Amino acid sequence: MTGRRPVIGRNGSGSVLRLPSVRIAVGVLAVIAILVAFGSTLAPQNPLAINANALFQGPSAHHLLGTDYLGRDVLSRLMAGTRLSVLTALEAVGIGLALGAIPGIATVFMGRWFDFVINRVSDALMTFPYIFFVVAVTAALGNGLVQAMIPVGILLAPAFFRVTRAATIEHARAQYVEAAELLGASKLHVIRVHVLRKVLPNIMVTTAAMTAAALLTVSFLTFLGIGVQPPTPTWGGILSSDLDYLSQAPWAPFIPGALIAVTVGALNALADAVRDRSGAGALALTPLVHIDPSLEHAHGDRQSRSVA
Amino acid sequence: MTVISLTRGGAADAAGAPPPRRRRGRIALARIGGGLAVLVPIVFLSSFITYCLGALSNSNPAATILGQDAATPAAVARLDKYLGLDHPLIVQYWDWLVQAVHGNLGRSYFTQIPVSQSISQRLPVDLSIAILAVILAIVIGGTAGTAAAIRRGGWFDRGVTAVCSVVSTLPAFVVGIILVVILAVSVHAFPANGYVGPASGVGPWLSHIFLPSLALSLQVSADIARQLRTSLVQVLDQNYIVGAKVRGLPYRRILVRHALRNATGPALVILGYDFPQMLAGAVAAEAVFSLPGLGQLLLESAETRDIPVVQGLLLVISTFVIVVNLVINITLNWLYRAGDEVGT
Repeated sequence: MTGRRPVIGRNGSGSVLRLPSVRIAVGVLAVIAILVAFGSTLAPQNPLAINANALFQGPSAHHLLGTDYLGRDVLSRLMAGTRLSVLTALEAVGIGLALGAIPGIATVFMGRWFDFVINRVSDALMTFPYIFFVVAVTAALGNGLVQAMIPVGILLAPAFFRVTRAATIEHARAQYVEAAELLGASKLHVIRVHVLRKVLPNIMVTTAAMTAAALLTVSFLTFLGIGVQPPTPTWGGILSSDLDYLSQAPWAPFIPGALIAVTVGALNALADAVRDRSGAGALALTPLVHIDPSLEHAHGDRQSRSVA
Repeated sequence: MTVISLTRGGAADAAGAPPPRRRRGRIALARIGGGLAVLVPIVFLSSFITYCLGALSNSNPAATILGQDAATPAAVARLDKYLGLDHPLIVQYWDWLVQAVHGNLGRSYFTQIPVSQSISQRLPVDLSIAILAVILAIVIGGTAGTAAAIRRGGWFDRGVTAVCSVVSTLPAFVVGIILVVILAVSVHAFPANGYVGPASGVGPWLSHIFLPSLALSLQVSADIARQLRTSLVQVLDQNYIVGAKVRGLPYRRILVRHALRNATGPALVILGYDFPQMLAGAVAAEAVFSLPGLGQLLLESAETRDIPVVQGLLLVISTFVIVVNLVINITLNWLYRAGDEVGT
């Protein structure tokens, strides 16, 4: 998103925080973080309290964002639902990070066969659409949002794997690494001192982007009613119940929809800004099925998805 | 990746000289063959993961089929033998895969309806939505991206960039809901839900699938527009474009034959990346527009833990994704080959 600002070069000086888009994004995420920590305490009303006399009310002083089909306060429900929505997304990202980044570094140092096998596993996982895979796994392993996040994490892993592997290859072949190896540095030393520190920005960018993806998946799962029992408020759940009463309150779905979109947008903006600034973490833009290696070469250094 | 060097043209490629025209087709075929060879482990792995889901579930298929009363140990053992569940996992997987290749995905635990039958009943819904969504994404994204790149820095360019940034953060199901609210509930321009097959008329069919397809395509359109704009801007700066202008070629011809052919590759790759998520979005679209598609079947069978149906669905979907990626790669290959001939 920040890529359209031509003044800022890859090696521009100053903190990323100077960009207005980043300031807004950080502000949004700070609010979300506060809601995760204290959302249910700060909620002005009981998110579960039913009021039959105040169904489908529009925004008012008493109900800032109106009420839903049971007369419950929408603002309170959104605030209370933030914790479950965000923490489960972070759970998936944590799993994806561990399962993707560690093999991403390891394959570069472990030899060709290991690399080949892990790459094919990663490719195979990329053929599953998130929702299909997650629903299939919940069918096999049983319902529950915390369990449902394990397959989401597994599907996020290929993205972490590809980015980490590409960055590791780039840095592990640098001359100073060669020099360190000639001086007798062990593989572990090279990884710890030379690779890890350089790869970290790429991993951070991917983490932000994948958190956005995970948050969308969580919202969608709860929208479909997977993993949560009805009275528990979640972003997707609120959206789903709003949809059932569209004729009574056509504006209602916009509120949770906007909350999801703004949070996801903030995470993406942050990822884009850090990516543009550090030149790190451009998604490895290679096709899933490689036919012609020259294609990979031709587009290996392209900044993907950001408008240069 | 030694696909090229396995072919006879490899030496010529390495030497930097283009291979004789006669051999080109053969090299392209060999490359596609090489691509297929890479596909083989992916197909096996993804189908194996799919099959393992059934084994992971601690459900007892025989007991489920027989029901609580009839599930005596002897009856369960007999049915296990009949279903082949007494074999080791890898043997079961192989049998399942061989049957699946022949179009037999087993039967539902509960309804005993063949899985392939329930899937093929519902596939047209998702296929219509997905194909129309891809077409819309290519048309909308392609037009917007090209127009933005031509008018680089202008108001249209800035508008496209801004809209894309907003749209690409909106999840398909939120877009779907917004579209339903605006175009179906308020304006009544389109039906808000339901599905009508093409058999009952092309008009009703299109009007029923248009909103879900549009909802699915917007995010992909934004990604394609952004990517196409970036690469087209780069290509239009190249010397050979300037050269073509100097030679006096018409601008439209330069744009289509010289610039677009070389700039569409990355946008196509993006389409390949987005496609699985587009199918996931189709589940959302089905939920929002109440369409009787694969996603509904998946949710229903997941609820009852009808493992054969779930496995069949996942196999069909991942095969679909692999085939689409293969098609995209063949197209990429063709584009770059065409690019060579135009003289990059």
